[in-house]
Amino acid sequence: MKRTIAVGSAFALIGLIVYVMAKGFGTDPHAVPFLLSGKPAPNFTIKRLDSDATVSLSDFKGKPIVINFWATWCGPCQTEHPVLDWAAKKYANQAVFLGIVFEDNEKNTRQFLQRNGWSFVQLFDPKSTVAVDYGVSGVPETYFIDRNGIIHHKVAAPFVDPREFAAHLETILK
Amino acid sequence: MNSTLGYGLVLLGLLCAAFAAVVGVVTGLTRRDGALPWVQRAVYGFAGSMILSNAVMVKALLEHDFSVKYVSQVGSRATPTIFTIVSLWSALEGSILFWGAIMGTYLLAFTWIYRREHGRYMLLTLGVMSAIAVFFGFLIAGPANPWTAIPNPPADGPGPNPLLQNHPLMIIHPPMLYLGYVGMTVPFGIAAAALLRGELGDAWLVPLRKWTLVPWLFLSIGIILGGWWAYAVLGWGGYWAWDPVENASFMPWLTATAFMHSTMVLERKKSLKLWTIALALASFVLTIIGTFMTRSGVFNSVHSFTQSDIGPTFLVFIAIVLVFSVALLASRGYLLVAESHLGTVVSREGSILLNNLVFAAMTFVVLLGTVYPLATEAFFAKKITVGEPYFNQMALPLGLAMTFLMGVGPVLPWGAADPKVLQKQVLLPAGAGVLTVVLCAVAGYRGFMPLAAFGLSAFVVVVTLRELFLPARQRMAEQKEDAVTAFLRSATRARRRFGGYVVHLGIVAIVVGVAASSAYKEHGTGTLRPGETMTIGQWKVRFDGLESGREPHREYMAANLTLVSPAGEEIQRHGQLAPRMNYYERSNDPIGSPSVKAMFLRDVYVSLLNFDNKAGTASFNAWVFPLVGWIWYLAIPILVLGTAIALWPQRKTRTAEASAPTPAAAQGAP
Amino acid sequence: MLIALTLVAGLTLAQDGYAPQRPVADPLDAQREARVQALGKHLRCAVCQGVSIADSPASMARAQLDKVRELVAEGKTDDEIYDYFVERYGEWALMEPRKSGVTLGLWVFPVLLLAIGLFVIWNQSKKGPVAAPATPATDAPADDYLAKVRADLEK
Repeated sequence: MKRTIAVGSAFALIGLIVYVMAKGFGTDPHAVPFLLSGKPAPNFTIKRLDSDATVSLSDFKGKPIVINFWATWCGPCQTEHPVLDWAAKKYANQAVFLGIVFEDNEKNTRQFLQRNGWSFVQLFDPKSTVAVDYGVSGVPETYFIDRNGIIHHKVAAPFVDPREFAAHLETILK
Repeated sequence: MNSTLGYGLVLLGLLCAAFAAVVGVVTGLTRRDGALPWVQRAVYGFAGSMILSNAVMVKALLEHDFSVKYVSQVGSRATPTIFTIVSLWSALEGSILFWGAIMGTYLLAFTWIYRREHGRYMLLTLGVMSAIAVFFGFLIAGPANPWTAIPNPPADGPGPNPLLQNHPLMIIHPPMLYLGYVGMTVPFGIAAAALLRGELGDAWLVPLRKWTLVPWLFLSIGIILGGWWAYAVLGWGGYWAWDPVENASFMPWLTATAFMHSTMVLERKKSLKLWTIALALASFVLTIIGTFMTRSGVFNSVHSFTQSDIGPTFLVFIAIVLVFSVALLASRGYLLVAESHLGTVVSREGSILLNNLVFAAMTFVVLLGTVYPLATEAFFAKKITVGEPYFNQMALPLGLAMTFLMGVGPVLPWGAADPKVLQKQVLLPAGAGVLTVVLCAVAGYRGFMPLAAFGLSAFVVVVTLRELFLPARQRMAEQKEDAVTAFLRSATRARRRFGGYVVHLGIVAIVVGVAASSAYKEHGTGTLRPGETMTIGQWKVRFDGLESGREPHREYMAANLTLVSPAGEEIQRHGQLAPRMNYYERSNDPIGSPSVKAMFLRDVYVSLLNFDNKAGTASFNAWVFPLVGWIWYLAIPILVLGTAIALWPQRKTRTAEASAPTPAAAQGAP
Repeated sequence: MLIALTLVAGLTLAQDGYAPQRPVADPLDAQREARVQALGKHLRCAVCQGVSIADSPASMARAQLDKVRELVAEGKTDDEIYDYFVERYGEWALMEPRKSGVTLGLWVFPVLLLAIGLFVIWNQSKKGPVAAPATPATDAPADDYLAKVRADLEK
């Protein structure tokens, strides 16, 4: 009897361990949870890259906002730049586009933008304080903020397909 | 050409292993011993093919034969030769191929050494070990095949992971770890054969013990070197972060250590048989789970290989091995009944039982903490982190308990202890322990954990030294031998005992090093202009300016420093010695490389956080770590010495183990 | 790690000179700085592999540590500082989960195991010592031995 219990529980434990590890295959161990969806977007006031003026999130009350965190040295950011450039022009009247550059220097960024297109407001976050406030966990990351200033969701991957970007944008245009 | 030859050898090895596995297990179970020579030949065939296949891979790497998939992944013409050879195990497929070579070597050595002995167990042992070899052969031939031919080979490759090229320790750390991991296959085979056969004679215990001790030593060295590497390369000043991959190597070490102790009770008391066998099986299972953790991409780790598709295959194998082990223990375990009960806890066997409990608990904590985040995500969709603070909190008390038992165990006699004798024996070491704590406290050191660790360490050292030298003194008195002769003779008379105690001293060096370096480290951080100085404890670091340069496979930016000791002595850290950032040609990421001034009593450790080339400033993180070097400089030689003494062949005659028919001369490390 | 390293300095040699660099924030006074480092040990770096922000060389980790410094300077309590990160990343951000709900198992199970183990050992020792084995098991023919063992079991 004792033995049956012992052996039974040993097999149960094996089942449990194998099940848990098997479940692990479906998940990405590097994924970082993000809990700010549905919460008000943190305010910030930082400098524009094209002038000495500053910009605050609160300047855009009542408008849907797209914030893209990026850096020039990040390959995927360079890849998605044309998509964002295109979207910022196309949706200029419907949403506010903000780029926030962090972990980078201003000179590099200005050069990059002058070369590759500068169609929306780019801000500089010198000490990554805004990035930390927004719970950024890599580059590039794009935040979609609705008219009420609530973060609808973020996309922690580069945009390759303009249609994909449009679908995400739709969620905050309503 | 290379890829056809290499792959052919893998297939040949797989075939040999499959033959040995099937024939070995079937004839072993039906007790037809005549098949043994054929199984032995098949094992040699497996070993030979695997070793040759690795040789072909090294050749392909050296020839920069980019038509071989693996070479095109890790090879590069710019990589120095030594790192080209090392890249054999720098990525997943190669490391599994290398694994096959080590497994072949182990099997070869084991089969050859015991080619004329232990006939009754041998078929089953070789059969079980070959079955494991089949799995790895299958991995190499299928899911992790490094030999795939590339029709249009590129002109050059990306080179191995820069992190692996950054420090010479990477040349020896992985092979040591693999030797430890793979070696556990042998005790698994031995133990499984004992269970399948339904008997565990004293003679069969000898190979079981020795062949656990060999991988145990490699595992110990591998783990310590891994810590040392992390310390010397990663730049955050730590050597152990309870990362899943580190944990994976720690767990089989714990169970193997527990095994080494419970086996003494088994020999003396003929009890704990099932438990001891279970520990031998568990050590192997944990190495497989550890390999899975490193290579499946399921765990989040600094060290893990890239995501791969061998995970599911591995998991199936883990399930098979686990079910097989439990089924064996359950169905055959009753054949291995204890022939005596434990008397009082206050005895040698009692202390070993407690030791095993503590080791089991520690293993459980490490496993639990490593798997728990996966479990909460699987069952509750809740992502959590179980990191250093948790493990430290759980492991430190258990570690102190281990240290305590390490001191108490040797004092206690087998059977029952006479309280009076015991009191007298404990007095001196306990006094030394208390004195150490008082002295440390007077010197200004505070904190319960570190002081307890120092006190217990002193206790253990005194106990151990007395155990080491007492027999010699007795001989000097009784047989009128001079000190050296008496010492050597007493040591050679009981090599295992002597070696074991030496190993204890090595463990104490680690305990003291860990306690001192984590409790009394001093930290400083800051941004300096050339000529400016910052202070860490009693040491000063002066920044002398930036220096950039180029080496064959990398460029670097170094921050030249001068360390100023408390006595005012100046030590320059320029060029090679300076903390720096290394830039590898095909990698966008700079790899920081800290500068370590290692001394016997402390290390001064400076890592370069960043620099501003135009302003000429640099930011540093700097630490003074007391006694940290003891963990490697002191502990590794002691552990090697102790294990070597224990493994050193005992002369056949006039020993307690006279019943063992093994020519001990052949039992050294492979 | 790759992402982390990318963020260490984020450099490509092709670009103008070396990496974009950011100076380290000045530490607070010794006492508060010690608290910053201790808190940092308990917070997980967002861009690394299971490393705390106090240990990670990544620039983002230092930005997070700067945030801790800022919150400490504002006089926030430990829990308020942890909450700031939990709000963003969930309990994932804590190197050691809070002792509540399912995570309690991390502490309960090992203690349970130790308790059961101690009970078993204590139970064993109560049985009192039994005479040492009459015959030391040798590698004598197996079947005798098996017979003896089986006979023992019949009792």
